[in-house]
Amino acid sequence: MSNVNISKLKGIVGDANVIDSLSEMAKYLKGQGKPVVVVLPGNTSEVSSIVKLANEQNVKLAVGGAVVNTQGITGGIAMVMSRMNQILEMDHLNLVAVVEPGVLHKEFLLKVAEAGLNFPPEPYEVETSSVGGCFAIGDSDSKSFEYGPTRTFLLGFEMVLPTGEILDIGNKCIKNVSGLDFIHFAVGSQGTFGIFTKLLVKLLPAPEAKKAVIGTFASMHKANATFNNLIKRNVLPTRMNLINASLAKNAKPGTEGQLVIIDLQGFKESGKNIANEVAAVLTLGGGSDVKIIEDEVEYDQVINGWLKVRAYLNAKPEQTVEFAVGPMKMPQALAQLEALTGDLGAYPGVIVEGLLGFVGLALPEGTDKLALARKVNKLAMSLGGNVKGLLGHKLKAEVYNDAEMWKQTTSLLSELRQQFDPKGILNPGVSLEA
Amino acid sequence: MLSQTVVKRLKEIVGEKNVVTDKVGLLTYGYDGTLLSGEALGVVSPQTTEQVVEIVKLMNEHNIKLVPRGAGTNESGGTIPSEESVVISFTKMTKIHEIDTENFVAVVEPGVINFDLQVELEKKKFYFPPDPSSFKASTIGGNVGECSGGPKCFKYGVTRDYILGLEVVLPNGKVIQTGGRNFQSEPGYDLTRIIVGAEGTLGLVTKVFVRIIPIPRAKKTMLAIYDKVEDASQTVADIVAAGIIPTTLELMDNLLINTTEDFTHAGIPRDAGAVLIIEVDGYPEDMDGQVKTIGDIAKTIAKEFKVAQSAVEVDQIWTSRRSAFGSVARVRPSYGVNDITVPRSNFPKAIGGVLKVAKDFDVTIGVVAHAGDGNLHPLILFDQRNKEETETVHAAEQALCMMALDLEGTISGEHGIGLVKKKYLDKEFTPAAMEAFRKIKRSFDPTNRFNPGKVIDL
Ligand SMILES: Cc1cc2nc3c(=O)[nH]c(=O)nc-3n(C[C@H](O)[C@H](O)[C@H](O)COP(=O)(O)OP(=O)(O)OC[C@H]3O[C@@H](n4cnc5c(N)ncnc54)[C@H](O)[C@@H]3O)c2cc1C
Ligand SMILES: Cc1cc2nc3c(=O)[nH]c(=O)nc-3n(C[C@H](O)[C@H](O)[C@H](O)COP(=O)(O)OP(=O)(O)OC[C@H]3O[C@@H](n4cnc5c(N)ncnc54)[C@H](O)[C@@H]3O)c2cc1C
Repeated sequence: MSNVNISKLKGIVGDANVIDSLSEMAKYLKGQGKPVVVVLPGNTSEVSSIVKLANEQNVKLAVGGAVVNTQGITGGIAMVMSRMNQILEMDHLNLVAVVEPGVLHKEFLLKVAEAGLNFPPEPYEVETSSVGGCFAIGDSDSKSFEYGPTRTFLLGFEMVLPTGEILDIGNKCIKNVSGLDFIHFAVGSQGTFGIFTKLLVKLLPAPEAKKAVIGTFASMHKANATFNNLIKRNVLPTRMNLINASLAKNAKPGTEGQLVIIDLQGFKESGKNIANEVAAVLTLGGGSDVKIIEDEVEYDQVINGWLKVRAYLNAKPEQTVEFAVGPMKMPQALAQLEALTGDLGAYPGVIVEGLLGFVGLALPEGTDKLALARKVNKLAMSLGGNVKGLLGHKLKAEVYNDAEMWKQTTSLLSELRQQFDPKGILNPGVSLEA
Repeated sequence: MLSQTVVKRLKEIVGEKNVVTDKVGLLTYGYDGTLLSGEALGVVSPQTTEQVVEIVKLMNEHNIKLVPRGAGTNESGGTIPSEESVVISFTKMTKIHEIDTENFVAVVEPGVINFDLQVELEKKKFYFPPDPSSFKASTIGGNVGECSGGPKCFKYGVTRDYILGLEVVLPNGKVIQTGGRNFQSEPGYDLTRIIVGAEGTLGLVTKVFVRIIPIPRAKKTMLAIYDKVEDASQTVADIVAAGIIPTTLELMDNLLINTTEDFTHAGIPRDAGAVLIIEVDGYPEDMDGQVKTIGDIAKTIAKEFKVAQSAVEVDQIWTSRRSAFGSVARVRPSYGVNDITVPRSNFPKAIGGVLKVAKDFDVTIGVVAHAGDGNLHPLILFDQRNKEETETVHAAEQALCMMALDLEGTISGEHGIGLVKKKYLDKEFTPAAMEAFRKIKRSFDPTNRFNPGKVIDL
């Protein structure tokens, strides 16, 4: 029996926004856990009341943009933010927007574009991601070299803490060092410090011009060599990405070989010259079908192709390994990687974000992820990098043979979490132990 | 007073000459960029992370607190030994471990002077964008401690945006590494971000992984002169509306125009209400278009607009701005630097607010501002020897902070909280936010050992 008091929940958000029939709940849930109820709050005070209720009754609660990960909340509450989906303000003078967390990322982008502005962060799941989820994950993406990672675009927020209190922080100033920087610390905390209920987001003017240059290559190594060439020439585009042959077809139907996508966002004049320079470098480097894309529709198709491939990789986190090395170390990284994976072109999936030195691997069925990650991490560390995120930290500490450092780091993480969520109510499925 | 045992141990750890305990020697470490002072029990200057660890452990054994210090140029009392404590000075950790331009990263010790890093980077046509006006003296560790800004933030952001990772000695003497050499390295929580700007209250930074980028291929510097400050802020708003992000939009008001003219004789009309220094950078072929757009915008209201035609002219324009703080010292013996920020759209109101404070308290205030960021540095001129006047100045400073908050801004854009602004912190933040800061402090430093009394009390 669960402790969840469904009638109290109904009292908070109204009957229509409490769902407890299994069949209806399914579309809001993913994973193996079995929450007893899905609740859809409509405003901050409802979120707060629900979280307070969860604390009183000591039940677990997990939050999601449109779909909630149910891990760890069997018998508990799944909170879906999709009803809080308003763009509250678009402030041109200050280049900021105030949005509710349930706004879909792609809808937000439309509104931002209509206003002649730019919101660079790009979550993996562009189709389904919410703005709240985007900041809760708070990652970098292939445009981060130019624009900075996701956190760069958060100036403040309203949050319901794991104890139910409402915390408001930040302002429309792009420079602000008052207090401790909880604003940026909260980015990437995956809902463990609290639930975003409003976000104060920084925007940029839209670039004057966008162009892409694409080309195909017989091998990953050849394609990647052109990236090193561009960096040496001090040509630093907005994106400089590479997709191996197995996945390239998904990005651009009919592609034979590895696909290079160079994205150039900036000014018209320089854009023309750089596009020509890039096209020349790709062609000289052995690229075929090298093409400069100026047409808006075709440009969007190319970029969406990239996003689709990235989303595909992300859909199976248990079958992906991600790492980064110094961008100019990528030739060695790919060469050494091939010793582990066999022909990179034929591997189920390899993507490279050249400016960030990032590689994402989609593993063949049945691969022992951890074993591979361990090897990949050694390789990456020898080239100034690491496997991504928490797992990477753990593996790094292993390599240093520094169990102490890993212990210290995780105990600090769990102390922080505990300070904010003494009862361990919120998002118990999120692990900070790797 | 430190006991002989402690002094002896400290000397064993860092070497005889790196421990200061004599009164005269301690004096310099009792001051920073503010008018406050304090007295340290001792000063210790480690040269390695291992020594830092040893020092922290020793201090813990004897229950002595530590105040981290770089060059001590901060404007918030952040390095003042306000409680019984030992100053740990990082000025002997000055190694640049590595500059890797190919991979856009440099690894430095915290005591490296910002300028010294820039000089090394410049040889390779690279730079580290955060360059507070104090960059010739201030250290990277101090820049990290304050999350310093500078004149380029509008386009390039602040220190936070260029720190990829840190090595940190925690209050319990344990060492952790946050982040790494790329954007993909944070372990669950973004620990780097909470250390940056924490003013030494959470951990001692012993190594910094900074992001470096190539020097832009081209740059154009412009100067616009206005009758009124409001006109200058109109230009700022119009430039932003035109979709241009200049690197710099520096403003000085009439008072500063006059004090800097006394120094530089740059030929700026003394009756002008404001000057705006505007700089754009990027690819050479984009410069003309942006300069034209900006010129068209500025000329609609500026008295005068000119584009620097040579490096010498660029230097002339900047000399005035660079001498701003120093120039006011001629007028009165002391000045207090304030640091408030408002949303860009409230910038004209903030200028009005400064004038009102000057009038209400009958004090002289000049304004230097990073106008694109809405970040104002009102300089209050006075004589510190006059006690009564000094008190009036403090009241005026408080009024400036409250004005910024009324205009939906912040009490600190880049100088930090330290001791100076701690008392206003709860005016800016709600109790829940204040408590969140405490939760963070408690997680790192439950017994309040590092930089006690700064930013927030436990
Ligand atoms: C295991 C896993 C790892 C992932 N890693 C990455 C990654 O590294 N980089 C990346 O770009 N994308 C990653 N994603 C994809 C990511 O889920 C989507 O790309 C998107 O950014 C998240 O938006 P969403 O609305 O779908 O969030 P959801 O999938 O609903 O939530 C994602 C996380 O954010 C939390 N969250 C959601 N809304 C809020 C809110 N309002 N307040 C507080 N917390 C909230 C959730 O509790 C959850 O921890 C990952 C997905 C999974 C399943
Ligand atoms: C003339 C002048 C102009 C200035 N211009 C600007 C400007 O344009 N922009 C701007 O932002 N600031 C400016 N400042 C303020 C100041 O220079 C900056 O805050 C600078 O970054 C401080 O560096 P520092 O080495 O002097 O640090 P310190 O003053 O020694 O220390 C600053 C803070 O960091 C902590 N700290 C220092 N080293 C470490 C470490 N290794 N580990 C942990 N904590 C540490 C200290 O405890 C303290 O809280 C100016 C100051 C002056 C005097």
